[in-house]
Amino acid sequence: MDLHKHVLDLDTMTRDEIEDIFDVAESMKEVLSRDIKQVPALRGKNVVNMFYEESTRTRISFEMAARALSATVVNFSAKGSSVEKGESLVDTVRTIQSLGADVIILRHKESGAPYLAAQHFRGSIINGGDGRHAHPTQALLDMFTMRERFGRVEGLKVVIVGDILHSRVARSNLWGLTKLGAEVILCAPPTLLGPAAFWRETWPQVQIRDTLDSCIAGADVIMALRLQRERQQSGLLPSLREYSRIYGLDSNRLARANKNALIMHPGPMNVGIEITPEVATSAQSVIEEQVTNGVAVRMALLYRLAGSAE
Amino acid sequence: MRYLIKNGSIIDPSQRVATIGDVLIEDGKVVQIYDMTQLAMEPLPVMEDLEVINARGCVVAPGFTDLHTHLREPGEEHKETIASAVLAAARGGFTTLCAMPDTNPAQDNAAAVRSLRQISKRTSPIQIEVIGAITMNREGKQLTEYAELVEAGCIAFSDADRSVADPAIMRHALSYAAMLGVPIMSHCEETRLNKGWAMHEGAVSMRLGLPGSPSAAEEVQVARDIALAELTGAHLHISHISTAGSVALVRAAKARGVHVTAEVTPHHLTLSDQWVLGSLAPEPKEEAESKAGKRGRRKDQGLGLNSWLNPRLLLPYDPSTRVNPPLRSESDVAALIEGLRDGTIDAIATDHSPHALADKEVEYGQAACGISGLETALGLVLTLVHRGEMDLVEMVARLTEGPASVLGRSPASLRSGSRADIVIFDPERPWKVDPNTFASQGRNTPLQGQQLKGQVMLTMAGGKIVYRRGAFGKGTGALHSPTRIDGIFREEEN
Repeated sequence: MDLHKHVLDLDTMTRDEIEDIFDVAESMKEVLSRDIKQVPALRGKNVVNMFYEESTRTRISFEMAARALSATVVNFSAKGSSVEKGESLVDTVRTIQSLGADVIILRHKESGAPYLAAQHFRGSIINGGDGRHAHPTQALLDMFTMRERFGRVEGLKVVIVGDILHSRVARSNLWGLTKLGAEVILCAPPTLLGPAAFWRETWPQVQIRDTLDSCIAGADVIMALRLQRERQQSGLLPSLREYSRIYGLDSNRLARANKNALIMHPGPMNVGIEITPEVATSAQSVIEEQVTNGVAVRMALLYRLAGSAE
Repeated sequence: MRYLIKNGSIIDPSQRVATIGDVLIEDGKVVQIYDMTQLAMEPLPVMEDLEVINARGCVVAPGFTDLHTHLREPGEEHKETIASAVLAAARGGFTTLCAMPDTNPAQDNAAAVRSLRQISKRTSPIQIEVIGAITMNREGKQLTEYAELVEAGCIAFSDADRSVADPAIMRHALSYAAMLGVPIMSHCEETRLNKGWAMHEGAVSMRLGLPGSPSAAEEVQVARDIALAELTGAHLHISHISTAGSVALVRAAKARGVHVTAEVTPHHLTLSDQWVLGSLAPEPKEEAESKAGKRGRRKDQGLGLNSWLNPRLLLPYDPSTRVNPPLRSESDVAALIEGLRDGTIDAIATDHSPHALADKEVEYGQAACGISGLETALGLVLTLVHRGEMDLVEMVARLTEGPASVLGRSPASLRSGSRADIVIFDPERPWKVDPNTFASQGRNTPLQGQQLKGQVMLTMAGGKIVYRRGAFGKGTGALHSPTRIDGIFREEEN
């Protein structure tokens, strides 16, 4: 199987490839700013959104991206489909293939599911988020947003704070940011991180801190992750209140970061837990811009994949 | 019918014999070993009704015993049947299988055990021993009727792939089994520590975002069960030991005289969690290996670079690598090899776990655990011999004498008068693993396409040839393409 025909993770992508995607995304962003937000690049191509897990922004973002390229988009959600009758992922992928799909966007709760799907699909798979493993398009749009604001990613000090252990966003950003030469700091309570040595074996440059106060000074980007309330119920946290006290992003903490530091969040937010409403809507927050850029970055990926398949 | 196995390299750990010579078999029993010097002085008399098997260049050893086989029959015949498991065993050089009780119904009552033993006796040319369940329906709640089960023929107790969660139940099980003189085989897994696990917890699980099962989930129960064995004086056997910490616990327990034994699988001895990375794993360390050779490890010249086990033949997240206990880290693998070498680990056991394709062709975390292991066991463990990490005679002992000692019986042997359970294997013969040629219905193996070195050529059970590769041993040893092995069975049964 040729991993390069798919976008499963950023681990096998080179720095040049990532920069290329950003360059294409820039022109796509220009397309999106026009009155008629559509180009014919993918006319006649079928893009299927296969979502085994709920999602608002990722699914709509991919759909907008594919439509802006004139592709035909079909949405599939596991709920209400033959998946509920027990159809396996492999059989579903084969069926979608027979129906004429060129590209599948796959969102799945099991890490690694896109690798299984890719083995049974002749077209391209784009990973729309799999379990805790990867969310490559999210990481690309995050880095694209940083590049847009700072003109570069290299040398930026990026703090990722929150439930790192369960986060596919954190893992994909780790790959991308380290490849592009950013300084990455992971900040989480030990129960939501796991042994530091496990992270360092794959990403030797990464720094690991256990309080937000200890890493906020000099930060260029602070990326807060969503904290699922179930984490407290399963005993990983004493209380949401204590989590908020140590890891919550509030105005006091923000004041100690660089003046032009960016606040990012992949969404959906738990406002009041990992981030205060003031910070989320502050001038430094680029959370909405991330969403806008997501469409452009996804257009760039679709264009590269479907375009190169000719 | 008589057989004369000629010019083989005879390894019989039970007699501390390693020599070149002939073995004469008559009426299902070993008559005698003749070594070369003996033969030079006094040639064998001409005998009638004798088949000569030319075993030049091959090892002749007592048949292997597997302490840990999942037969699947009765109840899951779509995964494996006794007939297919027996064929797989014969191809792997095994002449005794110990069947795990996780059939459906479970082997938790005398009637089920008697029935399984009767079917086996009637249909299987190799010996099948039955392991009874520790608790009813393997639920960890109520002890089975051990005395009656032992009477029906059970040789040990295990809840197969489930641990006994309640320490009090485990204590009682050990006490009761001690009275009957049979071991409790413990699957050590504290399931409250690894909820939802998919693979070994370590750097690889972190990278792949797969929920991990920490080594500690095994070790806390190994420690608990050793304490309970000490308390009760019972014989505790640790099934498929997989971590460095567990090896250390068993080593220390043995040193202070606790009656504890342990087995390790061929896959835990040779594969690591890197195999879940598949093509994302780093290139195999050829350079490092040759340096190790210079440090005094013997490096086998004939084993070309292609024949080193290479996880990169698999795709990432290949469900064939999902097994319980999971493939551990490389340092665990090293500790297991050390434990096998110093005798902390008594036996190699396959944990042969055949599955249907549909159980495996799913998302990694949903895939059934297990590897179909009978047919690749020898080839895998011989990689350790070829790398100079273990002596061939010791390795044979861990496949024969070791498992017999766990069961408290005299080992399979080539002594005069012993039942002729014999394996002949060519330790140098290279072959490529192709699951489609397996006799087992379970094609689930991470070894597809791997080059192994060392293959079983002939297996004899009770003096009958139950497996023969091609025309092995006929004439001067020229090999032809393998014949269908079920044909050989038929021929022998006539």
